[in-house]
Amino acid sequence: MTYRAWLKSLRSAPWMCWISTMLLLSGLARAAETPPAQPADSVIRSRLAKAVLAEGDEQKKEILSLAATGSKVVREVLNAWPKDRILLFAGENDTKIPALIEDETDSDGKARAVRIDTGAFLSDASGKPLKFAAADITTAETDSDLRRTLQQGLDAMALADPIPDARKTAILKLGNSQKLQNLPLLRDRLAIESNAEVRKAINESIALLQLGDPDPAVQKEAVIQLGKLEAIGSLDLLKKIVAKESTPSDIRREATSSIQSIENHIGVVNFVGTIFRGLSLGSILLIVALGLAITFGLMGVINMAHGEMIAIGAYTTYVVQNLFGTGFAFSITLPFSFGGKPIGFGLSLPGLNATGAFYESYFLVAIPLSFLMAALAGLVIERVVIRFLYRRPLESLLATWGVSLVMQQLFRMVFGANNVQVSSPSWLLGHFNLSDVLFGYNRVFVIGFAIFIVLGTYMLLTRTPLGLLIRAVMQNRDMASCIGVRTQRVNQLTFAFGSGLAGLAGAFLSQIGNVGPSLGQSYIVDAFMTVVVGGVGSIVGTVCSAIGIGTADQILQQATGSPVTGKIVVLVAIILFLQWRPGGLFSIRSRSLD
Amino acid sequence: MKFSPCNLLGAAAAAMLTFATATAESVKVGILHSLSGTMAISETSLRDTLLFAFDEINAAGGIKAGGKTYTIEPVIVDGASNWPLFAEKAKQLLEQDKVAVTFGCWTSVSRKSVLPVFEKNNGLLFYPVQYEGEELSKNIFYTAEAVNQQATPAVDYLLKMGKKKFYLIGTDYVYPQTTNLILYKYLLLHGIPAENIGGGFRKDADGKVISAGKYTPFSHTDYQQIVAEIKQFAASGDACVLNTVNGDSNVPLFKEIAAAGLSAADCPVVSFSLAEDELRALPTKDLVGELGCWTYFMSINTPENKAYLGRWDAWLKTQSYPGVVKEKRAMDSPMVLSYNGVYLWKAAVEKAGTFDVDSVRTALESGTITFKGPGGKTTMQKNHHTIKNVYIGETKANGQFKILKEFKDVAGEPFILKSLDEKLAAKK
Repeated sequence: MTYRAWLKSLRSAPWMCWISTMLLLSGLARAAETPPAQPADSVIRSRLAKAVLAEGDEQKKEILSLAATGSKVVREVLNAWPKDRILLFAGENDTKIPALIEDETDSDGKARAVRIDTGAFLSDASGKPLKFAAADITTAETDSDLRRTLQQGLDAMALADPIPDARKTAILKLGNSQKLQNLPLLRDRLAIESNAEVRKAINESIALLQLGDPDPAVQKEAVIQLGKLEAIGSLDLLKKIVAKESTPSDIRREATSSIQSIENHIGVVNFVGTIFRGLSLGSILLIVALGLAITFGLMGVINMAHGEMIAIGAYTTYVVQNLFGTGFAFSITLPFSFGGKPIGFGLSLPGLNATGAFYESYFLVAIPLSFLMAALAGLVIERVVIRFLYRRPLESLLATWGVSLVMQQLFRMVFGANNVQVSSPSWLLGHFNLSDVLFGYNRVFVIGFAIFIVLGTYMLLTRTPLGLLIRAVMQNRDMASCIGVRTQRVNQLTFAFGSGLAGLAGAFLSQIGNVGPSLGQSYIVDAFMTVVVGGVGSIVGTVCSAIGIGTADQILQQATGSPVTGKIVVLVAIILFLQWRPGGLFSIRSRSLD
Repeated sequence: MKFSPCNLLGAAAAAMLTFATATAESVKVGILHSLSGTMAISETSLRDTLLFAFDEINAAGGIKAGGKTYTIEPVIVDGASNWPLFAEKAKQLLEQDKVAVTFGCWTSVSRKSVLPVFEKNNGLLFYPVQYEGEELSKNIFYTAEAVNQQATPAVDYLLKMGKKKFYLIGTDYVYPQTTNLILYKYLLLHGIPAENIGGGFRKDADGKVISAGKYTPFSHTDYQQIVAEIKQFAASGDACVLNTVNGDSNVPLFKEIAAAGLSAADCPVVSFSLAEDELRALPTKDLVGELGCWTYFMSINTPENKAYLGRWDAWLKTQSYPGVVKEKRAMDSPMVLSYNGVYLWKAAVEKAGTFDVDSVRTALESGTITFKGPGGKTTMQKNHHTIKNVYIGETKANGQFKILKEFKDVAGEPFILKSLDEKLAAKK
């Protein structure tokens, strides 16, 4: 078949294209999976295998010398060892063959293992790779002593790590080790290091080590250097130097001024950090309250089940995560029986058994789905309960409270009373560090997420025909009805939209906290508080109040040193504020709200 | 699909159920735990273990006292995570059901609430959960870990690891407050200067420290500020965190710790309220390498423990009590300490030859009542606390602990604060 004909045949049968591409890809993947066993590696590999089985000081010495080779396989083994991923396979004549268990597991949770000494898969007589389940294997044990050695080995390797952050951590650890013998290691690195952040860390570590130098001139230089570098980690040591009787007066003077400059730096770091944390807490409040700003603020429904809409979002995230993993199943038995037989139903969905980056993308799928599920639930509640109560706010409070209790019990029946585990995708874990201020990825994400949904809501309300109708109905339901707006339909959609926003909040909250039946309860008060302070009926007010409350909370927490006192002060301030301005930050006067 | 019709009977209904046994000679024994409310997650496991122990004793012929054999008849009441209700239920057990002994309570506040009831009616209570000490009632026997059987051994271990800075954090109630105050003094005594103990202090008018550490309310979710503080605290290395945070607040705390890049290798966290049962609901992946300290771990590798776990599994499969979950169960220290309590009481009754509370107490106080349980030998002392082994373990990805160190036969001592104060004064 010519290339052209092949292409043509593919075009005529698109599914063939799929299959062949998949085959090709899987073939490639298999080829890439075969571990390389270069001759240069073989010596290291056999030494490594022996080191795993060795004991005591000899083992430690060998590990460190192996680490010095910088070989990739050594790093893999040192990393896997404390995680119980080094298998001790029982070979012939009571020998033990150490093997590295692969990260990727198949549908039964089993994984292949690579022999450390040869680099080939452990296989049965026919050459088929053996598979092992984590539960029924013997792994190479570690104790804290050995783990420290492994860590030491990894540190040395980390100095040469291609990722700057990893280098930095390793360098600072060496600096804090207070062992002068680490000095040449750091100097060697400094000579070849090009990354500015890492160079700073190396200088800091060198200075830290030099504090222990017997020569006072070197010590003094180190003290000055640490002040210049604003090294937070050195504060304790500098204070100790100042406090020590025998410190020469010039060193003490320099140390005092270094401490001063470091403390100034900490002040700045704390300030910037607090503002950032305030923004992130404010964003959480905002995404939690924005849905309520619509259902309560615009529509005037006191929706006590708002928290459960959040929980729906969180549980949707949990279910999606499981569908990407091993699947999801539940069964419910109703607490009464019919004709002696218990009534119940169950559902079992198979999982995709995804791994790696695909599995981690579950969260991206979960976000829109959480919105949809919560919006759907909102739609149902609006139809079944709320539409009868638009002009009776007190009854709507009681009815929605009842709905909230029913939903909590439903969560308990389907998902159990215990919290469920939602694992964060790796791109939401971790942080980046700007001049000692930590920016957690999940926190940065929530700020962006809040901006996104506020903009989305704003656009929907002001730039779409639906938004126009929503505003018209909310401002004067009767008049809108008179001029032909289908107010019932608009109410329904508005309530569903508000609920959907709560679902989005739940999707994010699953990443930072607990997912359990009472998840909604812990946020409902905060949500109402935010909306009331912002001014009922004003989205802009909700945004301002969320950010304001979040920042004030974090600043006060920082200032008073106690999370509880901070919260109390914020609540008192809110009460006083509402005395002064009962309508909130942006009070809107309209006939429908009076 | 299998359905059990009773599975979802509300805990409230189960609360008042009593299980009558066929034999004529039976003795009523109270179980006083929260089977509903926030504490139900932890406390129902203790109810299950107690029922298991009772069934085991009954199957083996019951309790021999005064020439007769008695089978145990459990009376289960639900404290519903409501502390005043605990006192009411205790009163009901003692005055109405006239139980010979009660096993129960989890939180210190529930114990404090039933204490006067037991003292007034001269009842007998076995308390199984690690607690802060500073209490000794003649009517309560504490199979629980005292502070010197959990917190201070953990600190000893960390000091030996070369840790020099300790950050104290806990939930704001009596157990973490008292434990942290004891730890603060203990650390001072072991040469750790006050500035190396993190979390802040509260002092009274005379400048005496009355509270050490950082506290958050129950169900707190925002740990950003605190973790940032820990990060700065740990910047100089050799730091660790002593964690008495209770319940599900641990999830946001550990997620924040993971996000800040504080790894167990640099700055380990020792948690005193997280056992295997709680780890089932936590993201254990983020917790690998963090430490725990208890007098029992499910992973203890002894024939006794293996046999015990085997019997427990078999019992779970065959039992038909309403509300006892059969699958995915873990065993942990409070459960084993409940179990040990039952056998200690049985031994004391058999020694005394009667169920009379005063005689049983005398037998228990004699110092000769021992039981070889799954976690090793337990001996009841005159001070109502036990002598037992203490284990330090680190969390594995599968939610189990790997045992790092064992302290043999540690004698429980409830009053530590006073002796620490005296030692500190002598040091000055």
